[in-house]
Amino acid sequence: MRRVAVIGVGVTKFGRHERTSAELFAEAAAEALADAALPPTAVQALYYGNVVGGETEKQLHTSPQAASVLGLPAVPTTRFETACASSHAAFRHAVMEVGSGVSDVVLVGGAERVLNVTTEESTEYFAYASDARWEQTLGLTFPGVFALVARAHMAKHGTTEEQMAAVAVKNHKHGTKNPKAQFQKEITLEQVMKSALVADPLKLYDCCPFTDGGAALVIASEEVARKARRPIWVLASAAASDWMLIGDKRDLSRVPATERAAAAAYRQAGLGPQDVDVVELHDCFTIAEIVATEGLGLFEPGMGGPAAEKGWTSVGGKMPVNPSGGLKAKGHPIGATGAAQIAEIVTQLRHDAGGRQVDGARVGLTHTLGGNTATVLVSMFGRE
Amino acid sequence: MLTQKQFFEKAGAGELHAVRCGRCGALAIPPREFCPECAERAWQPTTLSGEGTIASYTVIRVAPRGYAGEVPYAIAAVQMKEGVSLLGRVVDVPFETLKIGLPVRFRPLTKNGQTAVGFGPSS
Repeated sequence: MRRVAVIGVGVTKFGRHERTSAELFAEAAAEALADAALPPTAVQALYYGNVVGGETEKQLHTSPQAASVLGLPAVPTTRFETACASSHAAFRHAVMEVGSGVSDVVLVGGAERVLNVTTEESTEYFAYASDARWEQTLGLTFPGVFALVARAHMAKHGTTEEQMAAVAVKNHKHGTKNPKAQFQKEITLEQVMKSALVADPLKLYDCCPFTDGGAALVIASEEVARKARRPIWVLASAAASDWMLIGDKRDLSRVPATERAAAAAYRQAGLGPQDVDVVELHDCFTIAEIVATEGLGLFEPGMGGPAAEKGWTSVGGKMPVNPSGGLKAKGHPIGATGAAQIAEIVTQLRHDAGGRQVDGARVGLTHTLGGNTATVLVSMFGRE
Repeated sequence: MLTQKQFFEKAGAGELHAVRCGRCGALAIPPREFCPECAERAWQPTTLSGEGTIASYTVIRVAPRGYAGEVPYAIAAVQMKEGVSLLGRVVDVPFETLKIGLPVRFRPLTKNGQTAVGFGPSS
């Protein structure tokens, strides 16, 4: 495999938009191409993430549509759908296309539009990422899936609702420093603890919001990247899966796909968790951040909750997690999330993250989880 | 081989069916093509007792479209006595008594001709 770098990143404001997901992606892609100082004609392929376009926009075939709206109708495109991990899966495959020598410049990204439908509708569409016959018929929701994880983690490790709430408080604080974040205001522990129950023990402020938005990355071969202004190198990109059904997952306090993808990524990079300076990980729910920090090996099993409570995962702490505000405060446009996380890590490694910069960051990691924990992608990045 | 349709037809009649690998003895519910333990395709039908204990649980307060009229409702991952686990609705158990380790018993929940997995009190 040839070395591959990210040479351009672009993200729309996250929140509510009146534009289609293709329009949102096009805005992010234009920003990423400008950042890469490349004309659109340099793009040789588009790898695209979009999840519920069929439901919220009555739109399939979203990757050629995105390319058309961008003004690149002739490039080969592929849409990836692995629930919330879609554009991270797109990224991994784009890295393989460039790494293998098939292309030198590939555009990667994704977009999602969900705030144009009701919460009841979007809750239903997101639940399509669990099994139709065995689980959707129970009225299972995604907060419900992670509530089961939370209860199991609390029983096994003594994790508390206050520790989960500390994750929300921390990510909201980080979000105040991110001008693209959906929420840019601090919240208190008490606000989280007193918010309405969504799926016991998860409360409203334990949950990430529904979000419209787009994100894009320009990735390039070493030859192209050497001429770019600020390349950030891809050190690893790994994927793993797990059983689809909750009933088949033997220990709900763990996410085995995270552990498998992390092990593969560390092996590819020749690095370990102790070498990582900054992490963007999948905090769709506060408990998801706690379990992910353990699965990635950043903390011992059972220490994810105390780590959040002690401030170890804050910017300025010993292992900063989600300086962007994470899915919790930055927002979670599901098809765009993986690419947006990578955009943040690239920005951090360029030392360009302003008030949320992790000092001296040299190695970064992104972790994106798909739906019911059946898909996980982990990628690693470095300055040189 | 037990199809999904057959499983739920039998479940609707109160019988919980599974398959056991004829080579290594692994139990699976729902069935899959290959045994995940030994990669063999030698499944034999078996039935489960329906008895299990709660491994984790939640009470859903914000429901998907189509279920909003049913909130709040409890969902639990239940470890069956035979070792496999199933996700199901928990009915006729007060929410405040739900806990990990609570014994429950399989009960089919049929609505509009479609059966889902449910659990009720063990006795």
